[in-house]
Amino acid sequence: MLRELGALLRREWLRYIRTPVWIISSLLVPVLYLILFGQGFNYPGGPAQYLGAPNYISYFAAGMVGFVALTMSLFSGANVIFDKGLGIVKRQAATPAPRSVIFLSPLIFRSLIALVPAFLVLGLAVLLAHIPGFVGLTVTGSVGGLGGFEIVIAVLVLALMFNALFLAFGFALESPQSYFGIVNLLNLPILFTSNALYPPGVGPDWLHQIAEYNPVSLCVNVLRENLFGSSSYYPYIPEVYLLALLAWAAAFISLAVVLGRRALRTP
Amino acid sequence: MSDAIVCENLVKVYGDIIRAVDGVSLNVPEGEAFGLLGPNGAGKTTMVSILTTLVRPTSGRAIVDGLDVAKHPEEVRRRIGLAFQVSTADGELTGRENLEVAAGLQGIRAPEARRRIRELLDQMQLAPAADRLVKGYSGGMRRRLELAVGVVHSPKILFLDEPTLGLDPQGRAGFWDYIRHLRKDTGVTLFLTTHYLEEADQLCERLAIVDHGKIVATGRPDELKQRTGGDTVVVKPSKGEDLTPILSAVPGALAVQVIAGAYRVKCDRGEAMVPQIVTACDRAGVEIVSVEIRKPSLDEVFLELTGREYREEGTEHSGWASERMGQMRGGRP
Repeated sequence: MLRELGALLRREWLRYIRTPVWIISSLLVPVLYLILFGQGFNYPGGPAQYLGAPNYISYFAAGMVGFVALTMSLFSGANVIFDKGLGIVKRQAATPAPRSVIFLSPLIFRSLIALVPAFLVLGLAVLLAHIPGFVGLTVTGSVGGLGGFEIVIAVLVLALMFNALFLAFGFALESPQSYFGIVNLLNLPILFTSNALYPPGVGPDWLHQIAEYNPVSLCVNVLRENLFGSSSYYPYIPEVYLLALLAWAAAFISLAVVLGRRALRTP
Repeated sequence: MSDAIVCENLVKVYGDIIRAVDGVSLNVPEGEAFGLLGPNGAGKTTMVSILTTLVRPTSGRAIVDGLDVAKHPEEVRRRIGLAFQVSTADGELTGRENLEVAAGLQGIRAPEARRRIRELLDQMQLAPAADRLVKGYSGGMRRRLELAVGVVHSPKILFLDEPTLGLDPQGRAGFWDYIRHLRKDTGVTLFLTTHYLEEADQLCERLAIVDHGKIVATGRPDELKQRTGGDTVVVKPSKGEDLTPILSAVPGALAVQVIAGAYRVKCDRGEAMVPQIVTACDRAGVEIVSVEIRKPSLDEVFLELTGREYREEGTEHSGWASERMGQMRGGRP
Protein backbone atom coordinates (compact mmCIF):
# COMPACT_ATOMS: atom_id res chain seq x y z
CA MET A 1 0.00 0.00 0.00
CA LEU A 2 2.78 2.47 0.95
CA ARG A 3 4.88 1.49 -2.04
CA GLU A 4 1.94 2.14 -4.39
CA LEU A 5 1.14 5.42 -2.66
CA GLY A 6 4.80 6.43 -2.86
CA ALA A 7 4.86 5.71 -6.59
CA LEU A 8 1.77 7.83 -7.23
CA LEU A 9 2.89 10.71 -5.02
CA ARG A 10 6.21 10.68 -6.86
CA ARG A 11 4.34 10.86 -10.17
CA GLU A 12 2.36 13.87 -8.90
CA TRP A 13 5.59 15.51 -7.75
CA LEU A 14 7.36 14.91 -11.06
CA ARG A 15 4.44 16.30 -12.99
CA TYR A 16 4.35 19.30 -10.68
CA ILE A 17 8.02 20.19 -11.09
CA ARG A 18 7.80 19.70 -14.87
CA THR A 19 5.29 22.56 -15.13
CA PRO A 20 7.34 25.57 -14.02
CA VAL A 21 4.84 28.02 -15.49
CA TRP A 22 2.14 26.69 -13.18
CA ILE A 23 4.48 26.71 -10.19
CA ILE A 24 5.61 30.27 -10.79
CA SER A 25 2.12 31.59 -11.51
CA SER A 26 0.64 29.80 -8.49
CA LEU A 27 3.25 31.51 -6.34
CA LEU A 28 3.07 34.89 -8.04
CA VAL A 29 -0.69 35.37 -8.09
CA PRO A 30 -1.16 35.53 -4.31
CA VAL A 31 1.96 37.65 -3.97
CA LEU A 32 0.60 40.13 -6.52
CA TYR A 33 -2.79 40.17 -4.78
CA LEU A 34 -1.07 40.94 -1.53
CA ILE A 35 0.96 43.74 -3.03
CA LEU A 36 -1.68 45.26 -5.33
CA PHE A 37 -4.95 44.80 -3.40
CA GLY A 38 -3.40 44.77 0.01
CA GLN A 39 -1.53 48.01 -0.49
CA GLY A 40 -4.40 49.62 -2.40
CA PHE A 41 -7.16 48.76 0.08
CA ASN A 42 -5.27 49.91 3.09
CA TYR A 43 -8.35 51.16 4.93
CA PRO A 44 -7.89 53.14 8.09
CA GLY A 45 -8.79 51.70 11.45
CA GLY A 46 -7.39 49.58 14.23
CA PRO A 47 -8.14 46.48 16.31
CA ALA A 48 -11.65 47.68 17.11
CA GLN A 49 -12.60 47.71 13.43
CA TYR A 50 -10.79 44.51 12.41
CA LEU A 51 -11.66 41.98 15.12
CA GLY A 52 -8.39 42.52 16.91
CA ALA A 53 -6.16 42.78 13.89
CA PRO A 54 -3.98 45.89 14.20
CA ASN A 55 -4.90 47.18 10.71
CA TYR A 56 -6.75 46.15 7.56
CA ILE A 57 -3.72 44.65 5.79
CA SER A 58 -3.11 42.32 8.74
CA TYR A 59 -6.76 41.28 8.65
CA PHE A 60 -6.64 40.89 4.85
CA ALA A 61 -3.33 38.95 4.74
CA ALA A 62 -4.67 36.27 7.08
CA GLY A 63 -7.68 36.02 4.75
CA MET A 64 -5.37 35.68 1.75
CA VAL A 65 -3.92 32.48 3.21
CA GLY A 66 -7.36 30.88 3.09
CA PHE A 67 -7.94 32.26 -0.38
CA VAL A 68 -4.66 30.71 -1.61
CA ALA A 69 -5.64 27.30 -0.23
CA LEU A 70 -8.85 27.63 -2.27
CA THR A 71 -7.21 28.71 -5.54
CA MET A 72 -4.52 26.03 -5.30
CA SER A 73 -7.23 23.36 -5.30
CA LEU A 74 -9.18 24.67 -8.29
CA PHE A 75 -7.17 22.71 -10.85
CA SER A 76 -6.79 19.40 -9.06
CA GLY A 77 -9.87 17.90 -10.68
CA ALA A 78 -8.76 18.99 -14.15
CA ASN A 79 -5.71 16.75 -13.92
CA VAL A 80 -7.94 13.80 -13.14
CA ILE A 81 -10.08 14.55 -16.19
CA PHE A 82 -6.97 14.68 -18.39
CA ASP A 83 -5.66 11.46 -16.83
CA LYS A 84 -8.97 9.77 -17.55
CA GLY A 85 -8.88 10.97 -21.15
CA LEU A 86 -5.31 9.76 -21.64
CA GLY A 87 -6.09 6.29 -20.30
CA ILE A 88 -3.78 6.80 -17.32
CA VAL A 89 -6.58 6.13 -14.84
CA LYS A 90 -7.45 2.92 -16.72
CA ARG A 91 -3.79 1.90 -16.65
CA GLN A 92 -3.74 2.42 -12.89
CA ALA A 93 -7.04 0.57 -12.48
CA ALA A 94 -5.55 -2.49 -14.21
CA THR A 95 -2.86 -2.79 -11.54
CA PRO A 96 -3.38 -4.54 -8.19
CA ALA A 97 -2.84 -1.23 -6.35
CA PRO A 98 -5.62 -0.49 -3.82
CA ARG A 99 -8.31 1.72 -5.37
CA SER A 100 -8.19 4.16 -2.45
CA VAL A 101 -4.48 4.80 -3.08
CA ILE A 102 -5.22 5.63 -6.71
CA PHE A 103 -7.79 8.31 -6.02
CA LEU A 104 -6.38 9.62 -2.74
CA SER A 105 -2.85 10.28 -4.00
CA PRO A 106 -3.75 13.50 -5.87
CA LEU A 107 -5.73 14.67 -2.81
CA ILE A 108 -2.76 14.17 -0.50
CA PHE A 109 -0.20 15.67 -2.86
CA ARG A 110 -2.24 18.67 -3.89
CA SER A 111 -3.16 19.54 -0.32
CA LEU A 112 0.44 19.37 0.87
CA ILE A 113 1.74 21.41 -2.05
CA ALA A 114 -0.91 24.10 -1.37
CA LEU A 115 0.82 24.83 1.93
CA VAL A 116 3.82 26.27 0.07
CA PRO A 117 2.16 29.35 -1.49
CA ALA A 118 -0.19 29.72 1.48
CA PHE A 119 2.68 30.16 3.92
CA LEU A 120 4.72 32.08 1.39
CA VAL A 121 1.95 34.69 1.44
CA LEU A 122 1.88 34.72 5.21
CA GLY A 123 5.67 35.10 5.41
CA LEU A 124 5.72 37.81 2.77
CA ALA A 125 2.95 39.73 4.53
CA VAL A 126 4.97 39.69 7.74
CA LEU A 127 8.07 40.77 5.81
CA LEU A 128 6.24 43.66 4.09
CA ALA A 129 5.48 45.19 7.49
CA HIS A 130 9.20 45.76 7.88
CA ILE A 131 9.81 47.30 4.46
CA PRO A 132 9.48 51.08 4.36
CA GLY A 133 6.74 52.29 2.03
CA PHE A 134 4.75 49.03 2.36
CA VAL A 135 2.15 47.89 4.79
CA GLY A 136 2.15 44.32 6.05
CA LEU A 137 0.90 41.90 8.66
CA THR A 138 1.90 42.63 12.22
CA VAL A 139 1.64 39.67 14.57
CA THR A 140 0.25 41.11 17.80
CA GLY A 141 -0.64 37.85 19.51
CA SER A 142 1.78 35.43 21.12
CA VAL A 143 1.65 32.53 18.68
CA GLY A 144 3.03 29.60 20.62
CA GLY A 145 3.73 26.10 19.45
CA LEU A 146 0.09 25.15 19.76
CA GLY A 147 -1.07 28.27 17.89
CA GLY A 148 1.42 27.62 15.07
CA PHE A 149 0.31 24.00 14.89
CA GLU A 150 -3.36 25.04 14.74
CA ILE A 151 -2.59 27.46 11.92
CA VAL A 152 -0.80 24.80 9.82
CA ILE A 153 -3.54 22.25 10.46
CA ALA A 154 -6.30 24.73 9.63
CA VAL A 155 -4.72 25.58 6.26
CA LEU A 156 -4.01 21.91 5.51
CA VAL A 157 -7.58 20.87 6.37
CA LEU A 158 -9.00 23.68 4.23
CA ALA A 159 -6.77 22.57 1.34
CA LEU A 160 -7.88 18.95 1.83
CA MET A 161 -11.51 20.05 1.84
CA PHE A 162 -11.34 22.07 -1.38
CA ASN A 163 -9.11 19.55 -3.13
CA ALA A 164 -11.58 16.82 -2.21
CA LEU A 165 -14.46 18.93 -3.56
CA PHE A 166 -12.79 19.71 -6.87
CA LEU A 167 -11.36 16.20 -7.24
CA ALA A 168 -14.90 14.90 -6.77
CA PHE A 169 -15.95 17.00 -9.77
CA GLY A 170 -12.94 15.68 -11.66
CA PHE A 171 -14.00 12.09 -10.96
CA ALA A 172 -17.62 12.76 -11.87
CA LEU A 173 -17.17 14.83 -15.05
CA GLU A 174 -15.69 13.81 -18.38
CA SER A 175 -15.02 17.10 -20.13
CA PRO A 176 -12.57 19.81 -19.03
CA GLN A 177 -15.05 22.42 -20.29
CA SER A 178 -17.78 21.42 -17.86
CA TYR A 179 -15.20 21.16 -15.11
CA PHE A 180 -13.97 24.69 -15.62
CA GLY A 181 -17.57 25.84 -15.79
CA ILE A 182 -18.09 24.46 -12.29
CA VAL A 183 -14.84 25.98 -11.05
CA ASN A 184 -15.85 29.33 -12.45
CA LEU A 185 -19.27 29.01 -10.82
CA LEU A 186 -17.97 28.12 -7.35
CA ASN A 187 -14.67 29.96 -7.01
CA LEU A 188 -15.78 33.53 -6.39
CA PRO A 189 -19.00 32.77 -4.46
CA ILE A 190 -16.94 30.68 -2.03
CA LEU A 191 -14.49 33.53 -1.62
CA PHE A 192 -17.05 36.32 -1.39
CA THR A 193 -19.31 34.56 1.09
CA SER A 194 -16.33 34.25 3.42
CA ASN A 195 -14.89 36.86 5.74
CA ALA A 196 -11.45 36.54 4.11
CA LEU A 197 -11.52 39.99 2.51
CA TYR A 198 -14.51 41.95 3.93
CA PRO A 199 -13.85 44.00 6.96
CA PRO A 200 -16.46 43.23 9.64
CA GLY A 201 -19.43 45.59 9.64
CA VAL A 202 -19.22 46.16 5.90
CA GLY A 203 -21.97 44.62 3.79
CA PRO A 204 -25.39 43.24 4.64
CA ASP A 205 -26.16 41.10 7.64
CA TRP A 206 -27.20 38.01 5.71
CA LEU A 207 -23.74 37.92 4.09
CA HIS A 208 -22.09 37.90 7.49
CA GLN A 209 -24.37 35.11 8.60
CA ILE A 210 -23.39 32.96 5.63
CA ALA A 211 -19.75 33.89 6.19
CA GLU A 212 -19.84 32.42 9.68
CA TYR A 213 -20.28 28.93 8.24
CA ASN A 214 -18.07 29.34 5.20
CA PRO A 215 -15.07 26.99 5.52
CA VAL A 216 -12.67 29.72 4.35
CA SER A 217 -13.91 31.89 7.24
CA LEU A 218 -13.48 29.02 9.70
CA CYS A 219 -9.87 28.57 8.62
CA VAL A 220 -9.17 32.30 8.63
CA ASN A 221 -10.71 32.66 12.10
CA VAL A 222 -8.18 30.13 13.42
CA LEU A 223 -5.39 32.18 11.87
CA ARG A 224 -6.65 35.58 13.07
CA GLU A 225 -7.39 34.50 16.62
CA ASN A 226 -3.90 33.07 16.95
CA LEU A 227 -1.98 35.73 15.04
CA PHE A 228 -3.61 38.67 16.76
CA GLY A 229 -4.40 37.12 20.12
CA SER A 230 -7.91 38.40 19.60
CA SER A 231 -10.08 35.63 21.05
CA SER A 232 -12.17 38.20 22.87
CA TYR A 233 -13.53 39.43 19.53
CA TYR A 234 -14.75 35.95 18.50
CA PRO A 235 -17.62 33.95 19.91
CA TYR A 236 -15.57 30.71 19.90
CA ILE A 237 -12.00 29.60 20.61
CA PRO A 238 -9.90 28.54 17.57
CA GLU A 239 -10.32 24.84 18.35
CA VAL A 240 -14.06 25.13 17.77
CA TYR A 241 -13.51 26.62 14.33
CA LEU A 242 -10.95 23.92 13.61
CA LEU A 243 -13.47 21.21 14.51
CA ALA A 244 -16.13 22.80 12.31
CA LEU A 245 -13.60 22.93 9.50
CA LEU A 246 -12.79 19.25 10.03
CA ALA A 247 -16.50 18.46 9.70
CA TRP A 248 -16.60 20.26 6.35
CA ALA A 249 -13.47 18.39 5.23
CA ALA A 250 -14.88 15.04 6.32
CA ALA A 251 -18.02 15.67 4.28
CA PHE A 252 -16.15 16.59 1.11
CA ILE A 253 -13.53 13.86 1.46
CA SER A 254 -16.39 11.37 1.79
CA LEU A 255 -17.90 12.78 -1.39
CA ALA A 256 -14.54 12.43 -3.16
CA VAL A 257 -14.18 8.85 -1.94
CA VAL A 258 -17.65 7.92 -3.20
CA LEU A 259 -17.12 9.53 -6.61
CA GLY A 260 -13.51 8.30 -6.85
CA ARG A 261 -14.62 4.74 -6.19
CA ARG A 262 -17.34 5.14 -8.78
CA ALA A 263 -14.84 6.46 -11.35
CA LEU A 264 -12.66 3.40 -10.78
CA ARG A 265 -15.51 0.93 -10.55
CA THR A 266 -15.59 -1.74 -13.20
CA PRO A 267 -18.40 -0.83 -15.61
CA MET B 1 -1.20 -28.25 -19.97
CA SER B 2 -3.85 -26.15 -18.27
CA ASP B 3 -5.65 -23.20 -19.76
CA ALA B 4 -4.44 -19.67 -19.05
CA ILE B 5 -7.67 -18.15 -20.32
CA VAL B 6 -11.14 -19.63 -20.59
CA CYS B 7 -14.23 -17.77 -21.77
CA GLU B 8 -17.63 -19.37 -21.47
CA ASN B 9 -20.43 -17.80 -23.43
CA LEU B 10 -19.21 -14.31 -22.62
CA VAL B 11 -21.65 -11.47 -23.31
CA LYS B 12 -21.25 -7.73 -22.86
CA VAL B 13 -24.18 -5.48 -23.66
CA TYR B 14 -23.77 -1.71 -23.55
CA GLY B 15 -26.85 0.39 -22.93
CA ASP B 16 -29.25 -2.52 -23.52
CA ILE B 17 -28.63 -2.31 -27.27
CA ILE B 18 -25.06 -2.80 -28.35
CA ARG B 19 -23.95 -6.40 -27.99
CA ALA B 20 -20.21 -5.66 -28.06
CA VAL B 21 -19.40 -9.25 -27.11
CA ASP B 22 -22.09 -11.71 -28.09
CA GLY B 23 -21.59 -15.18 -26.68
CA VAL B 24 -17.86 -15.78 -27.02
CA SER B 25 -16.39 -19.06 -25.82
CA LEU B 26 -12.70 -19.76 -26.20
CA ASN B 27 -9.72 -21.18 -24.38
CA VAL B 28 -6.05 -20.34 -24.51
CA PRO B 29 -3.60 -22.96 -23.17
CA GLU B 30 -0.70 -21.73 -21.04
CA GLY B 31 2.19 -20.43 -23.09
CA GLU B 32 0.20 -20.06 -26.29
CA ALA B 33 0.11 -16.97 -28.46
CA PHE B 34 -3.53 -16.41 -29.24
CA GLY B 35 -4.98 -13.70 -31.43
CA LEU B 36 -8.37 -12.10 -31.84
CA LEU B 37 -8.62 -10.88 -35.39
CA GLY B 38 -11.41 -8.66 -36.56
CA PRO B 39 -12.39 -5.26 -37.87
CA ASN B 40 -12.67 -2.16 -35.69
CA GLY B 41 -15.79 -2.38 -33.60
CA ALA B 42 -15.85 -6.18 -33.63
CA GLY B 43 -15.67 -6.28 -29.84
CA LYS B 44 -11.98 -7.09 -29.46
CA THR B 45 -11.15 -4.31 -27.01
CA THR B 46 -14.22 -5.17 -24.94
CA MET B 47 -12.98 -8.77 -24.77
CA VAL B 48 -9.58 -7.61 -23.53
CA SER B 49 -11.23 -5.22 -21.06
CA ILE B 50 -13.30 -8.05 -19.59
CA LEU B 51 -10.30 -10.37 -19.30
CA THR B 52 -8.21 -7.64 -17.67
CA THR B 53 -10.95 -6.81 -15.08
CA LEU B 54 -11.66 -3.36 -16.52
CA VAL B 55 -15.15 -4.22 -17.71
CA ARG B 56 -17.62 -6.57 -16.08
CA PRO B 57 -19.29 -9.10 -18.39
CA THR B 58 -23.08 -8.89 -18.68
CA SER B 59 -23.25 -12.68 -18.57
CA GLY B 60 -21.00 -15.69 -19.02
CA ARG B 61 -17.72 -16.43 -17.31
CA ALA B 62 -14.12 -15.43 -17.90
CA ILE B 63 -11.37 -17.37 -16.15
CA VAL B 64 -7.80 -16.06 -16.15
CA ASP B 65 -5.10 -18.25 -14.65
CA GLY B 66 -7.80 -20.29 -12.91
CA LEU B 67 -9.52 -17.25 -11.38
CA ASP B 68 -12.92 -15.83 -12.25
CA VAL B 69 -12.26 -12.22 -13.31
CA ALA B 70 -15.56 -10.99 -11.88
CA LYS B 71 -14.97 -12.59 -8.47
CA HIS B 72 -11.23 -12.13 -7.95
CA PRO B 73 -10.25 -9.03 -9.90
CA GLU B 74 -7.34 -8.14 -7.56
CA GLU B 75 -5.75 -11.56 -7.88
CA VAL B 76 -6.19 -11.49 -11.65
CA ARG B 77 -4.55 -8.04 -11.85
CA ARG B 78 -1.46 -9.43 -10.13
CA ARG B 79 -1.03 -12.09 -12.79
CA ILE B 80 -1.64 -10.15 -15.96
CA GLY B 81 0.18 -7.53 -17.96
CA LEU B 82 -1.50 -5.19 -20.37
CA ALA B 83 -0.51 -2.93 -23.24
CA PHE B 84 -3.31 -0.63 -24.29
CA GLN B 85 -4.26 0.31 -27.81
CA VAL B 86 -3.38 3.95 -27.18
CA SER B 87 -0.19 4.70 -25.26
CA THR B 88 -0.96 5.35 -21.59
CA ALA B 89 2.51 6.60 -20.70
CA ASP B 90 2.76 9.96 -18.99
CA GLY B 91 4.30 12.40 -21.45
CA GLU B 92 5.65 14.68 -18.72
CA LEU B 93 7.68 11.84 -17.24
CA THR B 94 10.74 10.14 -18.71
CA GLY B 95 10.59 6.56 -19.94
CA ARG B 96 12.43 5.39 -16.85
CA GLU B 97 10.12 7.34 -14.50
CA ASN B 98 7.06 5.88 -16.19
CA LEU B 99 8.46 2.40 -15.59
CA GLU B 100 9.30 3.27 -11.98
CA VAL B 101 5.74 4.41 -11.32
CA ALA B 102 4.42 1.26 -12.99
CA ALA B 103 6.70 -0.94 -10.87
CA GLY B 104 5.64 0.90 -7.72
CA LEU B 105 1.97 0.35 -8.57
CA GLN B 106 2.74 -3.36 -8.84
CA GLY B 107 4.26 -3.21 -5.36
CA ILE B 108 7.78 -4.04 -6.55
CA ARG B 109 10.55 -2.92 -4.16
CA ALA B 110 12.82 -0.14 -5.41
CA PRO B 111 16.15 -2.05 -5.79
CA GLU B 112 14.45 -4.89 -7.63
CA ALA B 113 12.49 -2.41 -9.75
CA ARG B 114 15.66 -0.54 -10.74
CA ARG B 115 17.34 -3.75 -11.93
CA ARG B 116 14.25 -4.91 -13.81
CA ILE B 117 13.78 -1.50 -15.45
CA ARG B 118 17.40 -1.39 -16.65
CA GLU B 119 16.92 -4.83 -18.17
CA LEU B 120 13.67 -3.85 -19.87
CA LEU B 121 15.05 -0.58 -21.24
CA ASP B 122 17.90 -2.57 -22.82
CA GLN B 123 15.60 -5.23 -24.22
CA MET B 124 13.25 -2.68 -25.76
CA GLN B 125 16.18 -0.59 -27.03
CA LEU B 126 14.96 2.37 -25.03
CA ALA B 127 18.10 2.75 -22.92
CA PRO B 128 19.47 5.77 -24.83
CA ALA B 129 16.12 7.57 -24.49
CA ALA B 130 15.39 6.36 -20.95
CA ASP B 131 15.89 9.76 -19.35
CA ARG B 132 14.10 11.81 -21.95
CA LEU B 133 10.50 12.96 -21.50
CA VAL B 134 8.07 10.59 -23.20
CA LYS B 135 6.31 13.47 -24.97
CA GLY B 136 9.36 13.55 -27.28
CA TYR B 137 9.20 9.82 -28.11
CA SER B 138 8.32 8.50 -31.57
CA GLY B 139 5.28 6.31 -32.08
CA GLY B 140 7.42 3.17 -32.11
CA MET B 141 9.20 4.13 -28.90
CA ARG B 142 5.87 4.77 -27.20
CA ARG B 143 4.62 1.34 -28.23
CA ARG B 144 7.78 -0.29 -26.87
CA LEU B 145 7.46 1.65 -23.62
CA GLU B 146 3.81 0.61 -23.36
CA LEU B 147 4.94 -3.00 -23.74
CA ALA B 148 7.68 -2.54 -21.12
CA VAL B 149 5.14 -1.03 -18.68
CA GLY B 150 2.91 -4.05 -19.34
CA VAL B 151 5.61 -6.57 -18.45
CA VAL B 152 7.48 -4.72 -15.68
CA HIS B 153 6.16 -7.21 -13.10
CA SER B 154 6.88 -10.28 -15.29
CA PRO B 155 3.22 -11.27 -15.70
CA LYS B 156 2.17 -14.82 -16.55
CA ILE B 157 -0.31 -13.63 -19.13
CA LEU B 158 0.18 -10.64 -21.39
CA PHE B 159 -2.66 -8.84 -23.14
CA LEU B 160 -1.85 -6.66 -26.13
CA ASP B 161 -4.68 -4.60 -27.57
CA GLU B 162 -3.81 -3.59 -31.13
CA PRO B 163 -0.13 -3.36 -30.18
CA THR B 164 1.12 -1.93 -33.47
CA LEU B 165 -1.79 0.35 -34.33
CA GLY B 166 -0.47 3.37 -36.20
CA LEU B 167 3.06 2.04 -36.72
CA ASP B 168 4.71 1.96 -40.13
CA PRO B 169 5.65 -1.46 -41.59
CA GLN B 170 9.23 -1.36 -40.26
CA GLY B 171 8.07 -0.29 -36.82
CA ARG B 172 5.56 -3.11 -36.85
CA ALA B 173 8.11 -5.73 -37.89
CA GLY B 174 10.48 -4.47 -35.18
CA PHE B 175 7.75 -4.69 -32.56
CA TRP B 176 6.99 -8.28 -33.59
CA ASP B 177 10.64 -9.12 -32.94
CA TYR B 178 10.35 -7.81 -29.37
CA ILE B 179 7.27 -9.93 -28.84
CA ARG B 180 8.98 -13.03 -30.22
CA HIS B 181 12.00 -12.52 -27.97
CA LEU B 182 9.77 -11.91 -25.00
CA ARG B 183 7.87 -15.12 -25.61
CA LYS B 184 11.06 -17.12 -26.09
CA ASP B 185 12.64 -15.70 -22.92
CA THR B 186 9.67 -15.85 -20.60
CA GLY B 187 7.17 -18.33 -22.05
CA VAL B 188 4.44 -15.77 -21.30
CA THR B 189 0.93 -16.55 -22.55
CA LEU B 190 0.01 -13.97 -25.15
CA PHE B 191 -3.49 -12.73 -25.93
CA LEU B 192 -3.49 -10.10 -28.63
CA THR B 193 -6.08 -8.32 -30.69
CA THR B 194 -5.38 -6.95 -34.11
CA HIS B 195 -7.04 -5.97 -37.31
CA TYR B 196 -3.80 -6.53 -39.19
CA LEU B 197 -4.01 -9.96 -40.74
CA GLU B 198 -0.28 -10.10 -41.20
CA GLU B 199 0.26 -9.47 -37.52
CA ALA B 200 -2.05 -12.31 -36.59
CA ASP B 201 -0.28 -14.54 -39.10
CA GLN B 202 3.19 -13.60 -37.81
CA LEU B 203 2.65 -13.73 -34.07
CA CYS B 204 -0.20 -16.08 -33.27
CA GLU B 205 -0.22 -19.84 -32.99
CA ARG B 206 -3.98 -19.81 -32.92
CA LEU B 207 -6.57 -17.28 -33.99
CA ALA B 208 -10.20 -16.50 -33.52
CA ILE B 209 -11.77 -14.33 -36.17
CA VAL B 210 -14.40 -12.08 -34.63
CA ASP B 211 -17.09 -9.97 -36.19
CA HIS B 212 -19.98 -8.16 -34.50
CA GLY B 213 -19.01 -9.62 -31.13
CA LYS B 214 -19.10 -13.24 -32.30
CA ILE B 215 -16.37 -15.70 -33.17
CA VAL B 216 -16.80 -16.72 -36.79
CA ALA B 217 -13.82 -19.07 -37.05
CA THR B 218 -11.05 -20.46 -34.87
CA GLY B 219 -7.88 -22.28 -35.82
CA ARG B 220 -4.20 -22.11 -36.61
CA PRO B 221 -3.40 -19.51 -39.27
CA ASP B 222 -2.51 -22.22 -41.81
CA GLU B 223 -5.70 -24.15 -41.05
CA LEU B 224 -7.75 -21.06 -41.59
CA LYS B 225 -5.96 -20.34 -44.83
CA GLN B 226 -6.68 -23.82 -46.10
CA ARG B 227 -10.31 -23.30 -45.29
CA THR B 228 -10.72 -21.04 -48.29
CA GLY B 229 -9.93 -24.16 -50.37
CA GLY B 230 -7.95 -23.02 -53.36
CA ASP B 231 -7.54 -19.81 -55.29
CA THR B 232 -9.90 -16.94 -55.84
CA VAL B 233 -10.11 -14.96 -59.05
CA VAL B 234 -11.44 -11.47 -58.46
CA VAL B 235 -13.19 -9.87 -61.43
CA LYS B 236 -14.38 -6.28 -61.57
CA PRO B 237 -16.82 -5.26 -64.33
CA SER B 238 -16.52 -1.71 -65.69
CA LYS B 239 -20.22 -1.03 -65.15
CA GLY B 240 -22.54 -2.58 -62.61
CA GLU B 241 -23.34 -5.64 -64.75
CA ASP B 242 -24.39 -8.84 -63.01
CA LEU B 243 -21.62 -11.30 -63.83
CA THR B 244 -22.89 -14.13 -61.64
CA PRO B 245 -24.56 -16.19 -64.43
CA ILE B 246 -21.59 -15.73 -66.76
CA LEU B 247 -18.96 -16.60 -64.17
CA SER B 248 -20.89 -19.54 -62.69
CA ALA B 249 -21.04 -21.10 -66.15
CA VAL B 250 -17.24 -21.05 -66.58
CA PRO B 251 -15.94 -24.64 -66.24
CA GLY B 252 -13.93 -25.01 -63.03
CA ALA B 253 -15.78 -22.27 -61.14
CA LEU B 254 -16.68 -23.72 -57.74
CA ALA B 255 -18.56 -20.74 -56.34
CA VAL B 256 -19.16 -17.09 -57.11
CA GLN B 257 -19.45 -14.45 -54.41
CA VAL B 258 -19.91 -10.68 -54.70
CA ILE B 259 -18.21 -8.44 -52.19
CA ALA B 260 -18.16 -4.67 -52.60
CA GLY B 261 -18.87 -4.81 -56.33
CA ALA B 262 -16.13 -7.35 -57.07
CA TYR B 263 -16.92 -10.88 -58.21
CA ARG B 264 -14.94 -13.62 -56.48
CA VAL B 265 -14.68 -16.89 -58.33
CA LYS B 266 -13.50 -19.86 -56.31
CA CYS B 267 -11.41 -22.42 -58.20
CA ASP B 268 -8.56 -24.89 -57.82
CA ARG B 269 -6.03 -23.06 -59.93
CA GLY B 270 -6.50 -19.39 -60.67
CA GLU B 271 -3.95 -19.35 -63.51
CA ALA B 272 -6.07 -21.76 -65.56
CA MET B 273 -9.24 -19.81 -64.89
CA VAL B 274 -8.17 -16.34 -65.93
CA PRO B 275 -8.17 -16.93 -69.73
CA GLN B 276 -11.54 -18.69 -69.55
CA ILE B 277 -13.08 -15.90 -67.51
CA VAL B 278 -11.77 -13.24 -69.86
CA THR B 279 -13.11 -15.15 -72.86
CA ALA B 280 -16.52 -15.69 -71.24
CA CYS B 281 -16.89 -12.03 -70.39
CA ASP B 282 -15.73 -11.02 -73.84
CA ARG B 283 -18.34 -13.28 -75.45
CA ALA B 284 -21.07 -11.87 -73.27
CA GLY B 285 -19.98 -8.36 -74.29
CA VAL B 286 -19.05 -7.33 -70.73
CA GLU B 287 -16.11 -5.03 -70.29
CA ILE B 288 -13.96 -5.81 -67.26
CA VAL B 289 -11.60 -3.46 -65.43
CA SER B 290 -9.42 -5.99 -63.67
CA VAL B 291 -8.81 -9.68 -63.10
CA GLU B 292 -6.74 -10.73 -60.15
CA ILE B 293 -5.62 -14.07 -58.75
CA ARG B 294 -5.64 -14.37 -54.95
CA LYS B 295 -3.81 -17.25 -53.29
CA PRO B 296 -5.20 -18.62 -50.00
CA SER B 297 -4.38 -16.15 -47.25
CA LEU B 298 -5.91 -14.78 -44.10
CA ASP B 299 -7.15 -11.83 -46.14
CA GLU B 300 -9.29 -14.21 -48.12
CA VAL B 301 -10.54 -16.10 -45.08
CA PHE B 302 -11.42 -12.86 -43.42
CA LEU B 303 -13.28 -11.50 -46.38
CA GLU B 304 -15.18 -14.70 -46.99
CA LEU B 305 -16.20 -15.12 -43.38
CA THR B 306 -17.21 -11.56 -42.76
CA GLY B 307 -17.71 -10.03 -46.21
CA ARG B 308 -21.26 -11.14 -46.67
CA GLU B 309 -22.31 -9.24 -43.61
CA TYR B 310 -20.68 -6.04 -44.70
CA ARG B 311 -22.70 -6.14 -47.90
CA GLU B 312 -25.94 -7.01 -46.17
CA GLU B 313 -25.60 -4.24 -43.64
CA GLY B 314 -25.28 -1.45 -46.11
CA THR B 315 -22.88 1.19 -47.27
CA GLU B 316 -21.15 1.95 -44.00
CA HIS B 317 -19.70 -1.50 -43.79
CA SER B 318 -18.88 -1.95 -47.45
CA GLY B 319 -17.05 1.38 -47.25
CA TRP B 320 -15.08 0.11 -44.33
CA ALA B 321 -14.34 -3.18 -46.10
CA SER B 322 -12.94 -1.62 -49.24
CA GLU B 323 -10.79 0.77 -47.28
CA ARG B 324 -9.56 -1.93 -44.96
CA MET B 325 -8.78 -4.34 -47.75
CA GLY B 326 -6.71 -1.65 -49.41
CA GLN B 327 -4.69 -1.30 -46.25
CA MET B 328 -4.29 -5.04 -45.90
CA ARG B 329 -2.87 -5.44 -49.36
CA GLY B 330 -0.64 -2.45 -48.83
CA GLY B 331 0.69 -3.93 -45.62
CA ARG B 332 1.72 -7.22 -47.17
CA PRO B 333 5.27 -7.79 -48.33
